[in-house]
Amino acid sequence: MSEIKGKVLKHSEQTRTMHWIHLICFIILGLTGIGFYFDITSIDNLFGGSANASNVHVWTGVVFTLGPLIYVLFNFEKFAKFIDTITTFTKDDFGWLKTMGGYVPFIKAEHIPPQDKYNAGQKILGLLVIIGCILMIVTGFPMWLLRDTMPAILVWLCWKVHFWTAVILILAILGHFFLAAIHPKSRVEFASMMIDGYVDAEYTSHHNAKWFAQLKKAE
Amino acid sequence: MNIFVERGGITRRQFFKGTGIIAATAVFAGILGKIGIDIFKASDKYIEKRIAGLYTLDERMTIRKSHENPEIIQIYKEFLSPGEVKPLTEKSHHLLHTKYGSEIPELIKELEAHRHHAA
Repeated sequence: MSEIKGKVLKHSEQTRTMHWIHLICFIILGLTGIGFYFDITSIDNLFGGSANASNVHVWTGVVFTLGPLIYVLFNFEKFAKFIDTITTFTKDDFGWLKTMGGYVPFIKAEHIPPQDKYNAGQKILGLLVIIGCILMIVTGFPMWLLRDTMPAILVWLCWKVHFWTAVILILAILGHFFLAAIHPKSRVEFASMMIDGYVDAEYTSHHNAKWFAQLKKAE
Repeated sequence: MNIFVERGGITRRQFFKGTGIIAATAVFAGILGKIGIDIFKASDKYIEKRIAGLYTLDERMTIRKSHENPEIIQIYKEFLSPGEVKPLTEKSHHLLHTKYGSEIPELIKELEAHRHHAA
């Protein structure tokens, strides 16, 4: 065991607030969306019937759009760093992907390469979420505001893209939830995003070695 | 306890990536917004033309009000309310008013009875 003591501030207060807002919006949007698509009245009734569920869906969509937008405008530095991290793939990231970071039981992982603030899997999830959310937003608003005026084929196209993006996003987020909150190797990070923002320095020095080296250098 | 915190400030690369994404998103949103507004305007123009078309068709018609239609007046005078033009009589109510929803099975029964009666 190494002797690294202390904590690392991984996620700031505003980042955590934005994550909470997006999480709550995502659950509401996902539930109401599933209710509409599969015509499940009991889900619609949770939101006060079909007509109200529809209103809840579109207005939650507005918060879902504005939340990250306001965050990005007020936290440009954090956003720029985040984008830089998730769009930078080095041979260490490909090495992580080859072993899947040791998370998959039947893939041998003797040596897992050092990772940035986010490992290769988290980087891919980050990209998926950003692209997915943009697709949901650009197909959702026209279906709400232009459904009577847009050519029918475009409404159909928006509907298809909206549905399949939702399927991919829900599956990705379920995987994200499993690894962040349930998997014994990584669930220690749960509190860093959901509660106080801190992770053990010891844990970070193993799981995000490259980032931790930078933090130590900056000390 | 030792607390490690990220140092403020960003590199030139991080700045360009961040602004690049924001600019690309803004341009993308702008183009889509413009297309949306154009679709809306085109649709408005179409609706205006359709309204104008309907009004023109209406103005060109010889008979523009149903209660002034000589054939309707004749039907009332000779059959529905003999000798006068009187709407909402028992006969016109039965023959001209239709039924909806749960009343339909009853209407079918009534019509069937009429058919047997006529036969």
